[in-house]
Amino acid sequence: MTTTDKPAQESTLGSPSPDEPGAQTLTLSVGPQHSGSGHMRLIVELDGDIIINAEPDPGYVHRGIEKIIELRNIIRSIPVIERPSIIDASNLNHAWVKAIEELQGVEPPARGQYLRCLLNEMNRIMSHLYWLSIYGVFLGHTTMFMWPLGDRELFIDLAESLTGARITYSYLVPGGVRRDLPQGFAEEAIKRTEYFEKRLDEYENIFFKNPLFTSRAKGVGVLSRQRAIELGATGPTLRGSGVEADLRKDEPYAAYGELDFKVHTRPDGDSYSRVMVHVDEMRESSQLIRQILEKMPSGPVRRKAPIVVPRGEAYSRVESARGECSFYMIGEGGDKPYRARYITGSYRNMAAISAVLQGVRLADMPTSWWSIDYWPVEADR
Amino acid sequence: MSAQKPAQSDDPIELLADSMNVWVGKLSDIVHKVIDTEPIRNVINWARMYSLWPVNITTACCSAEFGAASGARHDLERFGVLPYGSLRQSDLIVIEGTITKKMAKRLRMIYDQMAIPRYVIAMGDCAISGGLFHDSYSIVNGAHEFLPVDVFVPGCPPRPEALEHGIIMLQEKIRNSKVYPQS
Repeated sequence: MTTTDKPAQESTLGSPSPDEPGAQTLTLSVGPQHSGSGHMRLIVELDGDIIINAEPDPGYVHRGIEKIIELRNIIRSIPVIERPSIIDASNLNHAWVKAIEELQGVEPPARGQYLRCLLNEMNRIMSHLYWLSIYGVFLGHTTMFMWPLGDRELFIDLAESLTGARITYSYLVPGGVRRDLPQGFAEEAIKRTEYFEKRLDEYENIFFKNPLFTSRAKGVGVLSRQRAIELGATGPTLRGSGVEADLRKDEPYAAYGELDFKVHTRPDGDSYSRVMVHVDEMRESSQLIRQILEKMPSGPVRRKAPIVVPRGEAYSRVESARGECSFYMIGEGGDKPYRARYITGSYRNMAAISAVLQGVRLADMPTSWWSIDYWPVEADR
Repeated sequence: MSAQKPAQSDDPIELLADSMNVWVGKLSDIVHKVIDTEPIRNVINWARMYSLWPVNITTACCSAEFGAASGARHDLERFGVLPYGSLRQSDLIVIEGTITKKMAKRLRMIYDQMAIPRYVIAMGDCAISGGLFHDSYSIVNGAHEFLPVDVFVPGCPPRPEALEHGIIMLQEKIRNSKVYPQS
């Protein structure tokens, strides 16, 4: 993996003269069978061990979901909608039911809205914890792989008692949610979120202040505020570059308008900032769960909604764990949409991968691109 | 091998080489038979059972449950399952979910590069028969179409406990298998 300084006679690197552009670079293909790639391939051009260009090669998980949802009715589509980001299922599901409700003109009851927010925030924590554990793997920090996954099970148990499934809930349906809170849920949730916040302090000591992490994250993979806006980045990536943008605040949906929470940003735009935005959001979501349980009104959780997509067009967007997730839907009056365009947060953040990886050392490549929180399954749909 | 030859050669050196080959072949047969006897086979299979290293290839969303199974609470390493980066030192492919046409080629390439013995677990409904995405234009309906699958783990996605059960089933299969597989 060294560059050739002398003219290469038998070199496989291509160019015969070192003065020509491209003569001193090496092109590497990273993935899809690689510890640091996930379900995708990165084509990385190197000068020494500095990355001068990185191109993502997506599409390994493209399953044609936009076509499939044209073939099933709106209830049967819900599991398909969830699958792209299985660790953040509720938020994607929310965008789908929101688009349908906009067309149907159905407003879910207040308790249903609060229950939606409850599962959304639990999902946000679970998704961020899963992301953090993989970040630990990419850094070679095995404790940071085990701890977040162990603490994620706290919330998985809660969600399982609420919905009946570990990670794929299909809990949100047009008109509300499927079922009410089980007995003793609130006490258990408060206990667990308080324990989780204590655990986050322990993470601080073992990982976030650890030079192993800070020396490889501070100032690495910088995405400036201007560049992030130009590339259309979203979610924690955008907030890590200092832009205060959060759909829960900017155009409040469900019960978010009545809840009190802060949008966390960091100004630097490096890997460290993006990681810390995730951590701050986990604290905020943990606080939100307790607040939702406290403010939750009584009443029904679901209003009757027909299984029909009325004629017309609707656009809905929600803030998922990875950024803005949106649906553009055209209805024809049948039980399936004529067309539904599905954009997820990872899909929009894909453009940021090349920008972040430029000038980064090869050894820092996995952590740098993973700090964007790019989930290839979600991006390919 | 000799059956494919058109005719016997008259050259004495070649004849000698042929007979040597036959002899060496017989010797290796004998060695294989000795190693495949009960006590030696048990030791080798015991070693294989508890060092199943899956290769680092994730095909789709079941990877979330595979991650949960590898992490705390469902620690897969107590079964000897440690996800590993180098495919030449790995023994196992866990196909985690939907196989797209683009990924199927890579899976086959990875399988071909792995050393024998190698095992395949098809995890999730999509890897078994297409599952939720059976009518999609871009996926392969089941891993068995291009790979010999040892254990199928159904579920969408399977719970970590189901994956653990699949791994125990694979270990049972290895316990009762021969040292030298036919393939």
